[in-house]
Amino acid sequence: MGKKLRWRVLLILLVLAGAVAGFVLTGYARARKDLGVTTPTVKDALRHGIKLGLDLRGGIHLVLQVNTADALKAERDDAVETLRNNTKDAGLGGVELPTDTTFSVVVNDKTDQSKLEDATKRFLPDWSYTTGGGKWTFVLKDVNRHQIEDNAVAQAVETIRNRIDEFGVAEPLIAREGKDRILVQLPGIDDPKRVKDLIKNTAFLELSLVDKGPSTSEALLAGYPGGKIPDNLKMVEAKAEPGRTDRSYYIVRKQAVITGRDLKNARPSQGQFGAATVSFFLTAGGSQKFGAATGANIGKQLAIILDNRVQSAPKIDDRITDSGIIKGSFTPEEANDLALVLRAGALPAGLTYLEERTVGPSLGLDSIRKGVTASVVGALFVFVAMVVYYRRAGWNAVIALLLNAILLAAAMSLFEATLTLPGIAGFILTIGMAVDSNVLVFERIREELRNGRAPKAAIENGFSKAFATIVDTHATAIIAAVFLLQFGTGPVKGFAVTLIIGLLISMFTAVFVSHTIFEIEYGRRAHIDTVSI
Amino acid sequence: MELFRQTNIDFLKYRWWAIGASWALILIGMFAVFVQKGLKFGIDFSGGTAIAVKFNERPDVDKLRKILDGANLGEIGIQRYEDPEKHEVLIRVQQQAKEGRDVAGDVLRTLRQGLEGPTDPAKIDINTEGKATLAARLAAADPDRVAGRADADLAAAYAQVAERVIAQRSQVGLFHSAADFGTIPGVSPEVKAWLGANTVVGPFVLLSAENVGPQVGADLQKKAVLAIVWSTIGMLLYIVFRFRSLPFGVGAVVAIVHDTLITIGLLALFGREFNLIVVAALLTLVGYSNNDTVVVLDRVRENLKTPKKEPLDVVINRSINQTLSRTILTSGATLIVVIALYFLGGEVLNTFALTLIIGIIVGTYSSIYVAASIVVIWKNFQNRRKLAVVPAPAPVKAPAVPPTAPTPSASASSAAVARPAGSGKKKKNRR
Repeated sequence: MGKKLRWRVLLILLVLAGAVAGFVLTGYARARKDLGVTTPTVKDALRHGIKLGLDLRGGIHLVLQVNTADALKAERDDAVETLRNNTKDAGLGGVELPTDTTFSVVVNDKTDQSKLEDATKRFLPDWSYTTGGGKWTFVLKDVNRHQIEDNAVAQAVETIRNRIDEFGVAEPLIAREGKDRILVQLPGIDDPKRVKDLIKNTAFLELSLVDKGPSTSEALLAGYPGGKIPDNLKMVEAKAEPGRTDRSYYIVRKQAVITGRDLKNARPSQGQFGAATVSFFLTAGGSQKFGAATGANIGKQLAIILDNRVQSAPKIDDRITDSGIIKGSFTPEEANDLALVLRAGALPAGLTYLEERTVGPSLGLDSIRKGVTASVVGALFVFVAMVVYYRRAGWNAVIALLLNAILLAAAMSLFEATLTLPGIAGFILTIGMAVDSNVLVFERIREELRNGRAPKAAIENGFSKAFATIVDTHATAIIAAVFLLQFGTGPVKGFAVTLIIGLLISMFTAVFVSHTIFEIEYGRRAHIDTVSI
Repeated sequence: MELFRQTNIDFLKYRWWAIGASWALILIGMFAVFVQKGLKFGIDFSGGTAIAVKFNERPDVDKLRKILDGANLGEIGIQRYEDPEKHEVLIRVQQQAKEGRDVAGDVLRTLRQGLEGPTDPAKIDINTEGKATLAARLAAADPDRVAGRADADLAAAYAQVAERVIAQRSQVGLFHSAADFGTIPGVSPEVKAWLGANTVVGPFVLLSAENVGPQVGADLQKKAVLAIVWSTIGMLLYIVFRFRSLPFGVGAVVAIVHDTLITIGLLALFGREFNLIVVAALLTLVGYSNNDTVVVLDRVRENLKTPKKEPLDVVINRSINQTLSRTILTSGATLIVVIALYFLGGEVLNTFALTLIIGIIVGTYSSIYVAASIVVIWKNFQNRRKLAVVPAPAPVKAPAVPPTAPTPSASASSAAVARPAGSGKKKKNRR
């Protein structure tokens, strides 16, 4: 018995030492990373032992939806354009666009339908078509449709990740959720507006030659026969000047000279009078296109269009090849962020915010303070109650509970589990539930004593008889917590994780550790008369 | 110290009273839910926006309302909360018809414009801007003249300065005036002077903003209901499997449903709001309520194994009495903890704690009365039916009797004692 007991004590001490060491070491590593110092103080290390959730640390939680329809529409417009370019002499009628994934080409007796069929087979393998009613109706095949949607979401995740990385956020979480949603969690970010704009900015840059403008939309339309803009042109709104409510418009060529894809780099710069501007630099291919277009159109205006808004439309003074400047009334931050999103690439589709949760840094601090105070007070009350009610055995329970708390903290630290405000409640709740196991055992021991059992036997029987019940109570509580884990967002998940780890640990502390303490106390003596319980 | 020394209370004698009391509580709760006030859903479920803001001085709620009415956001609720000395205000905005509007951003911008009037665009609001912006502006101005030094890292140097400034702001809540810059630790006088000249001290600081769109709200509602339903089914399966007894499982589940209904009803009666954290508390209760029931049922199972023939209600009564002390003590300990959370845990955890307080009290009662009563009523009913089919006293086979256990025979007067199996398994656990 003595030998066995020694092993058990050794095991408990080893677990305790491992837990403390694990907690402190993880704390050092995390503090080093978070604070950016090479030798954090012991206090900092202890503070950074557990990863804090957004609700305690401050930060932003966002759920975005990718408007995959945008990508489908772009694909459709591409297909229409391709078909048009390759059937120029086939005598096609107009094009109808009933939905995002279908389009129809009107045909008549003059149309060379074999040319149309030929072009379709060669250039539009992703589309199926039906004929009849004087038109050919094209439908994007399901396989390709899903692929385009899927790619759009995947690419959006990638783009957002690039932007966040460029902005510089420690430990960001950017993950796809379901079919078309993206979850973004940015701990420590205290500037929600800026970051939201940064993420959502489609950053679709086009440089197009201006046909007419700027003017009001009516004046512009009046300049074309029948008040209708020709097929190869489009009307784009100009960015509103600060403090002005009237809108002005430009008529520009649909075919852009260059787009954001031709950019090699972009950075914030300073223009005249210290105004914030963005300079961009083109790839080799982009330079070639840009040089040719600007060289051929000297004296004309070139519109710089960002997300369908004309930022500025400078006159082309000379042939430009590899770089340009975007002017607009930017603040330094806006210029910086625009350069950043241009570098990181455009989004393949627009984004909609479905959910936003921002916690400022001061609220997090306040929550920690309150949560910890409540926990400490609650735990102290429980400890006092146990000692008053069970006397020496109560101390036994207190030791087991303290050990439970230490192991729980260490486990959370080592598993990189996130502590949230409800998680703090879970922490203290596990103390309440762990006490249950002690109570079950102690009550059993008392019962055995009442039934006239000798103290030693009573302790043994108490533990063995209560064991099945302890397993049952833990199992049911864990089952409930697992369902909780499947449900809800960060804070609630944090609660479930804390609860589950705490319950698992309490199996060890309340049964194994508590039993061992009893044996240390009573086991060595050959005979004991009373048990303080 | 002992509170209950070998009690011998005939709990089941009052079972019909208990059932009446339970129904009364459920009905009061349901009245509150369906007739009186309805369930108040927080924005997690109903969608909408909630913004918590801390002001520099005591906020004039009427003025805030007037300013925000201009933002065209629909219905807006403004309330002070927590300690009035802290000047904190919670602004709620109804769900917008269209997904995606940045309501929180709009509210903050409107408030700032309305309270401050036009501001110098070259200056940043020190109570609004984050570390990144502040660091960039500082780096551009370079008040500490870092650029001249050898191996200078402008960005890193000012990132640290900005960090300290914002940390101080968090520490004190918000900057009240430019004079507060003097208190920022670890920052040079030059930086403080720069702050004084190039920033404005805004009227408020953002504590938190939550914006839940209609889609996510509907999703969460569905998920919450499913989570509660599935965890209840999980409990049923566990008990039926562990105790090999359907009545035990049904008794436990009825107790869970009972506790959940009463808790939801009472929360509605108290006008508390339902949000994710309350659902988390309800799910915890599902586990907790079952916990208590399992302890009683475990004892019943154990007591049924003694060779003595006793009517089931006597066995159950004895089991309840034997576990009474544990039930009360554990509930008491958990209750202490939860009460501490209720009073000290702050706004977010308050309703969470209240849910648990109600749930623990109701759960303790239900594990004594509801689950056990159901088992007794079920068994009695089963026996009466069997007796009606088999007129002469004959061996009655309990649903899941292991072949090794002696088959109990039912006498006309006493309820048959079902011996849940798993007894063999339990022996293994004992040394």
